[in-house]
Amino acid sequence: MFDSIKELVETATKSGKPLSELIIDAEVKSSGVSREEVWEKMKRNLNTMRQAVTKGETGEGVHSPTGLTGGEAIKIREYRKKHQTLSGDAMMGAVQAAVATNEVNAALGVICATPTAGSSGTLPGVIESLQNRLDLDEEALIRFLFTAGGFGLIIANHAGIAGATGGCQAEVGSASGMGAAAAVEAAGGTPQQSAEALSIAISNLLGLVCDPIAGLVEVPCVKRNAIGTANALVSADMALAGCVSKIPADECIMALDKVGKQLPSSLRETGIGGLAGTPTGQAIKAKIFGEDA
Amino acid sequence: MSGNYRSVFDIIGPVMVGPSSSHTAGAVAIGKAARSIFQEVPKKVTVHYYESFAKTHRGHGTDFAIAAGIMGFPPDDARVPMAPELAKKAGIDIRFVEEEGPSPINHPNTAILDLSDGDQHNTQVGGCSVGGGAIEIRSIKVQGVELHPSGPLPIVLYLDRDKNKPLIKGLAKMLDESAKLKKQQTKLVHDGELYEFDMLKYLKPKQIAELKEKFKGIVCLK
Repeated sequence: MFDSIKELVETATKSGKPLSELIIDAEVKSSGVSREEVWEKMKRNLNTMRQAVTKGETGEGVHSPTGLTGGEAIKIREYRKKHQTLSGDAMMGAVQAAVATNEVNAALGVICATPTAGSSGTLPGVIESLQNRLDLDEEALIRFLFTAGGFGLIIANHAGIAGATGGCQAEVGSASGMGAAAAVEAAGGTPQQSAEALSIAISNLLGLVCDPIAGLVEVPCVKRNAIGTANALVSADMALAGCVSKIPADECIMALDKVGKQLPSSLRETGIGGLAGTPTGQAIKAKIFGEDA
Repeated sequence: MSGNYRSVFDIIGPVMVGPSSSHTAGAVAIGKAARSIFQEVPKKVTVHYYESFAKTHRGHGTDFAIAAGIMGFPPDDARVPMAPELAKKAGIDIRFVEEEGPSPINHPNTAILDLSDGDQHNTQVGGCSVGGGAIEIRSIKVQGVELHPSGPLPIVLYLDRDKNKPLIKGLAKMLDESAKLKKQQTKLVHDGELYEFDMLKYLKPKQIAELKEKFKGIVCLK
């Protein structure tokens, strides 16, 4: 287990080993299970993610019990077929996968939390894009997940990943940073570029509040994953282009932690402030749970 | 650094039924931990929710998740959303109470469970869901005596009925060698001495099996 991103990047740079390899080594060492078992477990997680994407974007898609979310991955799918998209087809394919995953989550389907269920669409979205653009095989995608997890572990231990303690920036923000860092490795970038991508991605979502309508992981969570995915890809591209974050990754994570602590409770997964507190948000809540809720 | 997340699979995972890792998967884990500590099928469970859990448990499926944990279902089991009905059929009465005011164990995602066999056997377990499905157990009340673990899992509990000090020394040594012992405490209860161990690393499945064989009734919360 690595204590900081600086340590992880320095170890990778000095040893010449890929980040994913170092993270697999650390996992094997700390868990005491074999490399094969660790690899197989991650493979199962990847398969779960792929199944959730397929479920959400096939046929009529899925709908949540409340009817608040669902079917929009299908709308994106149809739109891509008929139109020249503004952000490009690969980007909208990624967005579709992200939305599909979180719609399955809201519909009480099976997903892989990355790092949380509310932010479970962000990495599958990035994976979709990497598959399309770089034609990555399964091994590379499993490595992608290890790298994302390794960076996520550092974020979780220094800032936290719960909306109730750190806002959405701790969930979709963390997922986006993890995805950006791992996408850089998948695209052949350097460990330092991975750190830059993570910094850029987290900086862009700093301060994002957790304000679920009626306390449900639906609105705005599903669409925030679309933005988490897009932000990860843009941040990875910027880092690969040589752009740098002026603030080191570990300090961006410190900022994430501090901003989370400064957020009032109404904006940390209580369903009180932000969009949840709007007249329409309140009306939806009353309709779902009754006036006394 | 808090260091409470110890595996890359705490971040990429768990595989779970939606919608929330903290309010659903974490709640399954709290239910499961409470059931493990109680060590039998309870007849009656009262779940006290605080803060974010009190405000949003209905929307997040926290009720069915806790019931699923008590039933011993894993978080990705398709029966998770049906757990309250299945529990009722199994003769377990589970009630949920939204408490006002701050969490007694100081976390916004708090559930405190009172488990009872309907007679003399009563246990209270205070758990909080810290994000991504990970949980902490911050209070345990057995036979009227309260214990406060540091929180992060793994936690090992052992009731020593014979007050056999050398045996406990051996247990502590074994735990320290396999998963690095961080802290241990003991409380005198009616049936003997209750030991609680906070571990720094996850115990391997083989080690847990070994412990269970050597120390009857030992509880390993992972």
